[in-house]
Amino acid sequence: MVALAETRHVTMRFGSFTAVDSVNLKVGGGEVVGLLGANGAGKTTVIRLLLGLVRPSKGEVALFGAPPSMRTRRRMGYVPQTLGLYDDLTVQENWTFTESAFGSTRVALPPSIRDARDRLVGTLPLGLQRRVAFAVAFSHQPELLVLDEPTSGVGSLSRARLWQDIRDCAEHGTGVLVTTHNMEEAEQCDRLVVMAGGRVVAEGTAAEVIADRHVVEARCDSWQEAFSVLDAEGLIVQVEGDVLRVPASPEHVQRVLARHHLRGAVATVPANLEEAFVSIVSAGAAR
Amino acid sequence: MWTMIVKEFRQLKRDRRTLALLIVLPVLLLVVFGYAARFDVSKVTTIVVGPQAEAVAGHLHAPFDLVEIDPNGGRSLAESRLQDGTAVVGVVTGQTQIVALMDGTQLFAVEAAESAIDHMAQAAKANGAAVPAITVQILYNPNLTTSWIMIPGLTGLILLFIGTLITSLGIVRERQTGTIEQLAVMPFRPWDVIFGKIVPYLLLAALDLIAIVVIGMVLFGVPFVGNVATFALGALLFLLVTLGMGVLVSTVSQNQGQSIQLAIMFVVPQILLSGLIFPVSSMASGVQWIAYVLPLKYFIDISRGVMLKATPLTALWGPLVVLAGMAIVVLGLAVLRFRRDLAPSARRGRTAEADSKAVAA
Amino acid sequence: MTWGLEDASVVFGSRTALDHLTLPVEPSTVSICVGGDGAGKSTLLRAIVGLVRLSSGAARRPQKKDIGYIPATAGLYIDLTVDENVAFCAGAYGVRGRELTCRSTEMLERIGLADARTRLGGQLSGGMQRKLAVGMALLHRPAMLVLDEPTTGVDPVSRAELWRLISGAAAEGSAVVVATTYVDEAHRASTVVLLEQGRSIAVGSPSDIIAAVPGTLGVVESTEQPQGLSWRRGKTWRVWAPSLDLPPGAESLQPDFEDAVMIAALADEQKIEIDGCAC
Repeated sequence: MVALAETRHVTMRFGSFTAVDSVNLKVGGGEVVGLLGANGAGKTTVIRLLLGLVRPSKGEVALFGAPPSMRTRRRMGYVPQTLGLYDDLTVQENWTFTESAFGSTRVALPPSIRDARDRLVGTLPLGLQRRVAFAVAFSHQPELLVLDEPTSGVGSLSRARLWQDIRDCAEHGTGVLVTTHNMEEAEQCDRLVVMAGGRVVAEGTAAEVIADRHVVEARCDSWQEAFSVLDAEGLIVQVEGDVLRVPASPEHVQRVLARHHLRGAVATVPANLEEAFVSIVSAGAAR
Repeated sequence: MWTMIVKEFRQLKRDRRTLALLIVLPVLLLVVFGYAARFDVSKVTTIVVGPQAEAVAGHLHAPFDLVEIDPNGGRSLAESRLQDGTAVVGVVTGQTQIVALMDGTQLFAVEAAESAIDHMAQAAKANGAAVPAITVQILYNPNLTTSWIMIPGLTGLILLFIGTLITSLGIVRERQTGTIEQLAVMPFRPWDVIFGKIVPYLLLAALDLIAIVVIGMVLFGVPFVGNVATFALGALLFLLVTLGMGVLVSTVSQNQGQSIQLAIMFVVPQILLSGLIFPVSSMASGVQWIAYVLPLKYFIDISRGVMLKATPLTALWGPLVVLAGMAIVVLGLAVLRFRRDLAPSARRGRTAEADSKAVAA
Repeated sequence: MTWGLEDASVVFGSRTALDHLTLPVEPSTVSICVGGDGAGKSTLLRAIVGLVRLSSGAARRPQKKDIGYIPATAGLYIDLTVDENVAFCAGAYGVRGRELTCRSTEMLERIGLADARTRLGGQLSGGMQRKLAVGMALLHRPAMLVLDEPTTGVDPVSRAELWRLISGAAAEGSAVVVATTYVDEAHRASTVVLLEQGRSIAVGSPSDIIAAVPGTLGVVESTEQPQGLSWRRGKTWRVWAPSLDLPPGAESLQPDFEDAVMIAALADEQKIEIDGCAC
């Protein structure tokens, strides 16, 4: 698989602060890669390196096999979180602007957004705005797409439609890199790259990232009381309805509950992606 | 590059406030510099008193505008007319010399009057006629010092800036960040929020005012011969008008950029057309009315009157009442609009507010 | 129903922002309102706290001094320090003296800001700002806590910590109602309401909502779009049939919560189209 975008041992330092530390990242044609990480983990810097907006302190960045340049920029599409659209222009005007900026031949508006062509972008609901931003980024048929939190704030139906657009692109050979905070969205990706503190701390499919991590499910008569005692122990307890999920060993949980005369059924279950992420990142931070 | 130009035009045609500024500002400047910006004075209001009032008045032609001729009145009458601003020149007859008292706060009117008197003397000499000698006495600002006139006006300008521009910025900042919503849900009454926001600016403006007056007195020797309480009253009323305007601007602006644009449209005309720089009497009659709707004009009357002429409260009741009226209207409107943001659901019968239960710890 | 909305509607001119919505908000529980942008989540929360007037229906809420509310955009002053923000909030709610020192120190330590008390609000990271905002809203032990999209844009670690605070509030007895766009957060609630264009398209506990899913759900392993109402999950397709007949190639599947939400939204959309045609 030919890597459309690649970083090799890339390091980025701003003064004494290391934003990105020896990161290897690859995005190939036809795959959807999810970049997951806390704020300040270095995701934005990696994107800026790929876009050629900054040059790395060490290591190499390759876009279509060569360092990022104006020519390679034309072969990629980028949708920032702020969408990069002009609120006070219509959909058609935004489209025309991008077309002439990229010098692409006159392409018709895709059917998904054609009905809204004369409406001001600022008046559209967010889901539609995001589809417009996506369509505009894809209008010049790029081989690589970089999307920053593409479905943030959007409802279920719009999210599904947007991901349909993204999958269609991928199936036509485009490589897609997505950054996200949303676990549901992360599970839509083929492959995940998890960053913390500027480093890559986990890679693979969602299942591979979760690996064999487990949490303890506790069902008690009063979840409120159980929560209070477990929380006081310093455990980050998550609540689901009236079931508690605790990242600790079942013996530990039983002990704490017993100490406060609380009865409950504990069972070990696999962690979900968010719990795995938190455990990976905390472990990384502790290092 | 063409692409960028086209885009900018498209965006501009939808930006109403910028368009308004683009159109209104040139029109305003045209009006000002075409009709208002005049230093030449064509009419000098004059009162003539004393036994020979009628005779002397006969000699006084343009630019003298005879508003009162009182043979029974003396110097004190003329002085009081000058003090309350009814007349700029008071000609006192009946002594050995005819004395022309002139209001030194009206620089250009005084210059016009002086030069007219000079011409009268020249013309009379040329004709060989006998003209009574007229001695000129300039009151209140004997050396016709410009800074003495400007600084009282400057105090008004400061109050205008702080009251309108800065207050509106402070309030809009909360609207921009969304914290106003939170204030509405916190246990504040709307009055707490409104006054809590206005009072700091009121105090700051007052401090600034005192500083400017003191600096004016110390550095430029500007006199302060009148009643401090009268000045303070005028300043307070004017400040309430400008603060009300600031709050009003903030209720129709969504961000600081918009509020600056609106505030500018309110402040700039006042700088140019209120009599701060160009005398109101010199403005073409078609545009003179504009000065009378601008709050700054009334405050300048008050501040110049009190600081330089010791004009008493009784003579200033006109401007004070106008300012009070404006304050009530503007502040009232502003508070009504602001309350809407802070207490939209304060109605009976629609909601049931249960007594709060103590939270079991 | 202790607090919440009962058959509440909010109409702005010709637009119905909230349509006959009922949501109970009970002490010691977390209620979550899920929907996309423009669904009416903010309007719902604002109706509960009284920022918006109802056009019909009723809202129940405690007095202002017993409410904690954080709108979507704010929560703290970016030009005040952490300490100054806490002082303002405490002053507004009358939390003073030893109780204030005690609770604020405990809160700041829990959040991790104990050493950053003189830092400006604007200098904190997004996640930290939210945690501080929630912490401050809890200083006065509100009977009802209302949070508008507290975790949007926040990284997953901060999000977990935020939920720890939120669940903690419910554990101490507060009635908590949260609006969010993240469907996977809705699991945490005891009551969920799905919002679509101001209407509630499903309400109940997460398991109730899953159980109430109409029709049949199927999964298709190929990359070709199957016939019928479908959406992608990763590389595969999910397909939903309102009746019991799945299209060929689809295998029947038990819906999870995310599926249930999609199906509810689809069912709602379909119903609307049918109504629209009947003219």
